[in-house]
Amino acid sequence: MAAPITPCSSPSSSSSLAFPSEFNLCKPRNCCFSNWVSHVCPRIRTRTHFQIKTSNGHPLNAVSMQGGMDGSPLAKGINPEKEEDFFIDISDGEEAHSTLSITVVGASGDLAKKKIFPALFALYYEDWLPENFVIFGYARTKLTDEELRNMISRTLTCRIDKRANCEDKMEQFLKRCFYHSGEYSSEEHFAELDNKLKEKEAGKRSNRLFYLSIPPNIFVDVVRCASRKASSAKGWTRVIVEKPFGRDSESSAELTRCLKKYLTEEQIFRIDHYLGKELVENLSVLRFSNLVFEPLWSRNYIRNVQFIFSEDFGTEGRGGYFDNYGIIRDIMQNHLLQILALFAMETPVSLDAEDIRNEKVKVLRSMKPLELEDVIIGQYKGHNKGGRTYPGYTDDSTVPSNSITPTFAAAALFINNARWDGVPFLMKAGKALHRKRAEIRVQFRHVPGNLYKRNFGTDLDKATNELVLRVQPDEAIYLKINNKVPGLGMRLDRSDLNLLYRARYPREIPDAYERLLLDAIAGERRLFIRSDELDAAWSLFTPLLKELEAKKISPELYPYGSRGPVGAHYLAAKYNVRWGDLGGDDD
Amino acid sequence: MAAFSSMHCSPSYSFSYSSINGCKKQSFILSASPRFSVPDKAKVFFQSPGNSHQNGVLMQDGAVTTKVSPVGKEANIEKLERDLMSVTSSKEWDEKAGFDINENESTVSITVVGASGDLAKKKIFPALFALYYEGCLPKHFTIYGYARSKMTDAELRNMVSKTLTCRIDKRENCGEKMDEFLKRCFYHSGQYDSEENFAQLNKKLKEHEGGRLSNRLFYLSIPPNIFINAVKCASTSASSGNGWTRVIVEKPFGRDSESSAALTKALKQYLSEDQIFRIDHYLGKELVENLSVLRFSNLIFEPLWSRQYIRNVQLIFSEDFGTEGRGGYFDHYGIIRDIMQNHLLQILALFAMETPVSLDAEDIRNEKVKVLRSMRPLRLEDVVIGQYKSHSKGGVTYPAYTDDNTVPKDSLTPTFAAAALFIDNARWDGVPFLMKAGKALHNKRAEIRVQFRHVPGNLYNRKFGTDLDQTTNELVIRVQPDEAIYLKINNKVPGLGMRLDRSNLNLHYAARYSKEIPDAYERLLLDAIEGERRLFIRSDELDAAWSLFTPVLAELEEKKIIPEYYPYGSRGPVGAHYLAARYNVRWGDLGVEQSV
Repeated sequence: MAAPITPCSSPSSSSSLAFPSEFNLCKPRNCCFSNWVSHVCPRIRTRTHFQIKTSNGHPLNAVSMQGGMDGSPLAKGINPEKEEDFFIDISDGEEAHSTLSITVVGASGDLAKKKIFPALFALYYEDWLPENFVIFGYARTKLTDEELRNMISRTLTCRIDKRANCEDKMEQFLKRCFYHSGEYSSEEHFAELDNKLKEKEAGKRSNRLFYLSIPPNIFVDVVRCASRKASSAKGWTRVIVEKPFGRDSESSAELTRCLKKYLTEEQIFRIDHYLGKELVENLSVLRFSNLVFEPLWSRNYIRNVQFIFSEDFGTEGRGGYFDNYGIIRDIMQNHLLQILALFAMETPVSLDAEDIRNEKVKVLRSMKPLELEDVIIGQYKGHNKGGRTYPGYTDDSTVPSNSITPTFAAAALFINNARWDGVPFLMKAGKALHRKRAEIRVQFRHVPGNLYKRNFGTDLDKATNELVLRVQPDEAIYLKINNKVPGLGMRLDRSDLNLLYRARYPREIPDAYERLLLDAIAGERRLFIRSDELDAAWSLFTPLLKELEAKKISPELYPYGSRGPVGAHYLAAKYNVRWGDLGGDDD
Repeated sequence: MAAFSSMHCSPSYSFSYSSINGCKKQSFILSASPRFSVPDKAKVFFQSPGNSHQNGVLMQDGAVTTKVSPVGKEANIEKLERDLMSVTSSKEWDEKAGFDINENESTVSITVVGASGDLAKKKIFPALFALYYEGCLPKHFTIYGYARSKMTDAELRNMVSKTLTCRIDKRENCGEKMDEFLKRCFYHSGQYDSEENFAQLNKKLKEHEGGRLSNRLFYLSIPPNIFINAVKCASTSASSGNGWTRVIVEKPFGRDSESSAALTKALKQYLSEDQIFRIDHYLGKELVENLSVLRFSNLIFEPLWSRQYIRNVQLIFSEDFGTEGRGGYFDHYGIIRDIMQNHLLQILALFAMETPVSLDAEDIRNEKVKVLRSMRPLRLEDVVIGQYKSHSKGGVTYPAYTDDNTVPKDSLTPTFAAAALFIDNARWDGVPFLMKAGKALHNKRAEIRVQFRHVPGNLYNRKFGTDLDQTTNELVIRVQPDEAIYLKINNKVPGLGMRLDRSNLNLHYAARYSKEIPDAYERLLLDAIEGERRLFIRSDELDAAWSLFTPVLAELEEKKIIPEYYPYGSRGPVGAHYLAARYNVRWGDLGVEQSV
């Protein structure tokens, strides 16, 4: 689920785009895709499965960040933060003297309503928040505290596994929620907010977290105002921002530069939702806490790795934001690349954030920038099936009718280090495909000198082991192994060694936002993206993105609801790979 | 899916009188074993022969020698015959029969010697029918029952028909198939040591063979004390003149190195090595068959298959019932001979062997022998023995082993044993292979557990506290009941914390394969017909196996070591834990998070 606060970037075009209703970020989008039509998102209430989504439908257009930055002096009103300040580390006695204030900037937007407040409530419900905390909503809309509470209360839900005193808890939670109305670029209004916060903090040591649920073009303004006028004097001040973090190396560097005028690296928490996903979290656990995987984790045994993301719906009338970014920026350069880095990194010195991020950066820096010939792009076209007509991407009225923005892309990447030399890492991401799925597939090499070769005929590809981590839907881990089919013959067959989360862990899996918010509060930076990581990630994709745009490469068209352009198969074939998700025995 | 329904019983030796024995445990209770007719449901378990009554027969020294020595004079003639026979029956014929000759011209005659016994009725005939039903038998075949009882063909058919069943997955024309099958079954009554009677059988067989190239398979479902007689008569008077002749025998193959060697020597007077098919049911089990497939057809296991990654291997066999009034045979053998020296050791050898040159029987058996010969003979201090004592639970009193009135009151025969073995080769040096087998325990189970080493420099160490044993990976191959393969892995418990937990990567056969798993006897019979020797035990394998166990068996008997008593239905003597602890091992089946 990604709620997307989208960004900014393309300075030139951006300012001209009108924002529909002030940052009401993605409306229905956060919710179920199935419900485009109804506009009501009942599913959000049940919070069962949020999906990772591309940011389509994102209304926020990009706006340049330039304006704001020019005028702003480099004032640094913020205390650099100290690691010891994690409230979690503080003993009870101290906790009583400290307090946490969370300000959701852009509180009337959809993301705030649908993800942030519910995640905060879930944390409160599970007792993860410190004893003293307040939550402030900040936006331009005029609202009273009561109106805010009213608005929020509609989207709060309780965990299915213990609803006991949910109502009570909800009331107590709402009592801690307040609202302050103000302009995003007004230092004066932030100063008012600061007064209110101080009142609530009542002289305790105060820690402040700002969640920027606003379009990227106003990131910098808000950061400036917040840091100058509403930073905590005694505790830490942290700011959470969401993608997009620019649209290429330059715009990203510019954004980082502007943010750093007001914030130190330690104060910036760049969220990538994908990293909060349960199975992505589990990836490192699997590798490093089991003896059986690590010996296999190299070019000696792994033939290729595939990162696959697909959605079964298109932009559905909300392509305005997406059209400016395209699938490569929206999914590959961030989500899939982050997972790749986690997957491929060397064993870190420890599980500390800096150690892990150091290893991830090393992976990214060992990679070759992507070349045009290793990328396939596609765009969905209209399709009739069963009497229904599915629209093409360019049928979307918010998309220019001659758009060549890719809605599908496949790419082959390589890591030129000792562990991974020559192993293709394939990525594939697309909208309007035949199903929704996010998974990591590790295909192992053939068994050398396989004694059972004749039992397979000649299709050796069917005989290799494969480890699949399915991130969504239906979280699962399975290992495809060759096995004898029970019976008198000696027929071999692929079977799965399975771990289906639903069956093993009946508890509801927490939403990625909960983990990420909790980590930000605790100062745990493992799942947030550091500036140098971001730079390295952009430098892999920027040349390609520029070339695609400069040469106006036309995407291969594929029907809505299909398996995507066949070009993806040819790309895979070039590196002697078969897509694991499109095989005959795919589950 | 029916488990392997049959196999179990080791009763092979249990011949006719063996009556109930060999069967599955349930039958004890029901005494009639209706389940046999419903093999699908019958989760039979491997049973140790405890019950088998086969009393004394045994091949005690006396038995063998007596048989052997009398051969004396005739030996020359027999030798001659044997030579002739082995010529005809050797490989060349195999090939002819198998490949060169048109199928229409060859025929197979299967003679079940001891046809009126329980094993024959419950396992062999049903397995033959299943093979027929599945189209696995050649076009021309005849089945003969041979035993001392007087019976007509019709009576035999009647008897056989009561135990035949059809596979659940395709019952369609089962009735017809059964009729056709029964028409091919005949009976010949005779003494087991009468060459004359076997010569009569030979005549009848020839009639049915109608001049075709004839291949003959004898299944000896008789007590071992008459093995040699039957083999002598069959080979001298009823061998095939132009095809192969093979003989299937079941355990026990002696009770120590000497008696086993004597039995082998005696058999070899009449048969060549190629003709002897020593069955070990365990090797016909689906998951044991699959062991090599797992290792050699998957890239991910073989790199881990050595002392570098494997900390220990456990071979576990348990039954949840005792001898139940049929301890006569068992008392003479004990659990070590009955289960460990054969079933568990065979699996160990398959598990630990180097990659064979090919999947051919000789290549595999060569590798197995190498493993056995690399092993240290078992020492007394590496063995724990136990015997169950009576126990009252919930108002029911379960009898002690020595309460069985077929068992001497002062019997020291172990009904439980645990042992630590070592393979002194480059791959396995220092890795303990633990075996455990017992009767009257709390569950019935046969499984292989591979415990991997700790993760070196584990980043997540602190998440586990200090109990590192809980964090190691473990591969479990559950042979019965409910065949399954699973790999225990560490996993993050979903949620906001960072708690780790062991989960299983699972393959549960019942869920994955809806077809009934064939009985081990079916596979073994089919292999014998086809001359596939992979799952049969070669003489040198048998020798090597005995030489590992004979010294400790002799010492146990000589020193009259008293077994540690454990209550009926318990988890066995605690001594097993101390033995494991000495090698820094924990039994995987008795942990807190006992596998499900």
